[in-house]
Amino acid sequence: MILASLVVPAAVAVWLLTAGRGLTHRAANVLTLAASVLTLWAVLMAVVLRPVVDRAWVPSMGLRWQLTVDGISAPLLLMVAILGVGVALHTTDRPPLGGTSAAFHACLLLVEVGALATFYARDAVLFFVSFELVLVPMWVLITRFGDPHRPAERADAGGRFVLYTAFGSTLMLVGILALVAKAGTADLEVLAQGAGRGIPVHTQVLVAALLTAGLAVKVPVFPLHTWLPSAHTIAPTAGSVLLAAVLLKMGTYGLVRLPLATLPAGFARIAPVLGVLGAIGILWGGLACLVERDLKRLVAYSSVAHMGFVALGLASGTRTGLQAALFANIAHGVIASLLFVVVGGLKERWGSADLATARAALREVAPRLGFALVVGFAASLGLPGLAGFWGEFLSVYAAWSPADDRPGGLFRALAVVGALGTVLAAAYSLRVLRTVWAGDRTSPPIEDSRDSEWDVAAVLVLATLALGIAPGPLLAMTSGAVSSLLEAAR
Amino acid sequence: MTTLVTLDWLVLAPVLAPAAGAVLVLLLDAVAPRLSQVHAGVGVLALVAGIALAVPGALSATDAPLRTLCLPAPDGACLYEAGPVASALQLGALASALVVLLLMWPGERERMTVQGGPAVVVCLVLAATAGACGVAAAHDLGSWLVCLELATLPVVALVALRGTVAAGRGALALLTTSLVSFAMLALGAALWLVATGEAVFAQGAAQAALDADDRRPVLGLAVVLLLAGLGFKLSLVPFHAWTPQAYAGGSEAVAAFLAATSKVAALAALVVVLRPVVAAGAPVLVAVGMLAAVSMTVGNLLALVQDDPVRLLAWSTVAQAGWVVLPLSALRGGSAAASGGYLLAYVIATLVAFAVVHVVGAAPAARGAVGAPRTLAAYTGLLRSHPLLGGALGLALLSLAGLPPGVVGLVAKVVALRPVVDGGQWVLALIAVANAVLGIAVYLRWFAVLLRDPEPGEVGPVVRRVDRPALAAVVLSGVALVATSVMPQLLLGLLG
Repeated sequence: MILASLVVPAAVAVWLLTAGRGLTHRAANVLTLAASVLTLWAVLMAVVLRPVVDRAWVPSMGLRWQLTVDGISAPLLLMVAILGVGVALHTTDRPPLGGTSAAFHACLLLVEVGALATFYARDAVLFFVSFELVLVPMWVLITRFGDPHRPAERADAGGRFVLYTAFGSTLMLVGILALVAKAGTADLEVLAQGAGRGIPVHTQVLVAALLTAGLAVKVPVFPLHTWLPSAHTIAPTAGSVLLAAVLLKMGTYGLVRLPLATLPAGFARIAPVLGVLGAIGILWGGLACLVERDLKRLVAYSSVAHMGFVALGLASGTRTGLQAALFANIAHGVIASLLFVVVGGLKERWGSADLATARAALREVAPRLGFALVVGFAASLGLPGLAGFWGEFLSVYAAWSPADDRPGGLFRALAVVGALGTVLAAAYSLRVLRTVWAGDRTSPPIEDSRDSEWDVAAVLVLATLALGIAPGPLLAMTSGAVSSLLEAAR
Repeated sequence: MTTLVTLDWLVLAPVLAPAAGAVLVLLLDAVAPRLSQVHAGVGVLALVAGIALAVPGALSATDAPLRTLCLPAPDGACLYEAGPVASALQLGALASALVVLLLMWPGERERMTVQGGPAVVVCLVLAATAGACGVAAAHDLGSWLVCLELATLPVVALVALRGTVAAGRGALALLTTSLVSFAMLALGAALWLVATGEAVFAQGAAQAALDADDRRPVLGLAVVLLLAGLGFKLSLVPFHAWTPQAYAGGSEAVAAFLAATSKVAALAALVVVLRPVVAAGAPVLVAVGMLAAVSMTVGNLLALVQDDPVRLLAWSTVAQAGWVVLPLSALRGGSAAASGGYLLAYVIATLVAFAVVHVVGAAPAARGAVGAPRTLAAYTGLLRSHPLLGGALGLALLSLAGLPPGVVGLVAKVVALRPVVDGGQWVLALIAVANAVLGIAVYLRWFAVLLRDPEPGEVGPVVRRVDRPALAAVVLSGVALVATSVMPQLLLGLLG
């Protein structure tokens, strides 16, 4: 099942890049849709059956295809697979600009494969290899298929994205190699069970710092976030969705899997720094959103703020914090996807995403898009009953009562900052809704959402509601793995 | 004492095959000078035979090296010792020479006016390859020096034979550096002999010299001189100045030979020297580490501003040479294998790149073309206009950058970094990280050109017809690149 969910999209992507280059948009889309539905089915089966794959790949390096599913990766895998179908569906009636449709779809599939492999991987080096797999397709999506009006900015955003994240992942590679050298194994489960015992604390701190710094670029944690807004602004909608819902999650997932699980003592020492940076990110993102004029860029900055909550939850070191971080991770994936679908759609209709231009109120001319936007921003500001609430509320709660080995006073201050950040979120969300959604102007008219775009948006709205009303199943899914992870660290 | 007790022809075969081929080609040229295709064919056959005979050595499961030319019992030193790493490097030298030879295949339309005829070119390539294979397994100072020079001097002639002014300059630069480096190597070898009292690279004698207070500085100086001499051949900064000139002066095929086979020879020679002095510890290793760090940084920074693909690849060679010697700066069992693994991955990718550059460079410029064949602009939209060439070049560039789908390059980077991290050399590791990012910038710059659509009205050189041997070279090296990317074990397994 696991192999099927990787091989099917990879094979289709390779075929699209080689033999299928001449396919029409329609054919490429149907093929991609079929492949991603098959992948979703395989992932579902894998999540239910929890099979294990363990095959040698490069014996002389000790590198193995070691793939499995557990409670931490299962929700992420499902989200990636569902959004894989979602982006394919979303592309159905918007042929990509800037290159062949086959190449566009191949890039979407390759990003999906890389993300799935990252979440499946149980070998630290394999994790790194899969982590790198998404870079080139994403770069192509940004530089080739991004905003057609601004070629220079496309190249800049793509280059920035690839160089920043490659720097982060190479830093992480050094950390992984050091970890593997010290612990004598690359098996993440064995590493997590060993929990860094037998490694001197100062080495643990150094290695954990390398790993955290490397992964923090991808999350992104302030001040390493500067690649994200430009990449989001330029990328096509499907690319933005993948970026927000898939790539960023690889960063947080890596933080849980690598430094937090394998070197708890070292991670405890640097957690305050991560927490402070997370809190700064919450404020910084919120403040940037208050003044940002480009709607897409605004959503990107709000991502920085949301990922700040995730970093804060991870840094707190408690069970609640970890659960909150994992929940906020998924919630952000869903909300940001929803917002990017809507905002990307608006940008297509408006021609730009400048908030200063006077436009027709969405409430009047495009009620469906308007509704989706309201739900998205309401969830983004952490309204109870929607997906955003639980992750952020629990993160702040966890920061208020952190683990015993964390400085309590500092974390209480961070909790206050986090709470303040939710106020900022409310302010900028309402600002956007006031300018874009409310009002009574009806010109220039735009077309409302329908067909595949509305289907995708509707599913995401439902998911936002479902996660908000019933957070239980998701929390239950992760709780077992989180407990055993924290048990091992003790 | 002078009589050799063992002489195993089969073990020596990887060296003898190209050497015999060279002689045969010269004989054929004397008998039938017009059959240039046959000369090239004989060359290819000799190399294929060499590859076939080197494979058993590289695949042997035991770590015990293949030995021959051993002296009688009390000394027992063998003049020829090929372990797994040496065999793998021999294989790399032979295979890369094969690809180069295919690129040099005498076509109907002679693009390069070769003086002396195709037979001379084939003979020179084979001779240099024999030298490269020999130096990998040379265990005594004499054959080591001779083989190393045999691997170098024919290349000077290859560059010069093109006959243009640029070629003359390149050949002169190469000749001057070769002479300087030979002087250093000879002096280093002499000092080695003084310090250890033996004319073989033996661990025991080197250790004895290290333990004796009066002889340690002499050995240290010997190693430093040998290192500097080999630095010229590997184009490590600050011994790199000849590289761009010689690459740009020769034809693309000769540049490919310089970038691939010559580098294999130089690294093989370096591994032979460093193995016995592994115990020498810090000073030598710091020197290697510094060379690696400076080479990477300078090479990448200068590659970033090049607009001539051959020059870009030349500076990329400088940078990659830094990566190649990086693992040698840590004293680990696997350092030599890691270094060899990185080198072979680089050789495959760079050969693909040079093969494509050769083909595109040979394409006639269309009317009103803006991009001369030797600018990056000539590659605009290659991925769409010629998927095979564009795809091969794209994969090669991504491999050099170390980004999937060029997995082999990524795995090679992991392999090269591992000994450094194991040894706890954090500064060097961080410099390497910065350079990995710089390298990505270098190669993505070119890769982006492959993807870009040509501007309306802009016409690049049109690749209409590709010569069959050149196509074979592209396909051969491209298949090797794809195969090793899917199964990196194919490459790393060779190194034991």
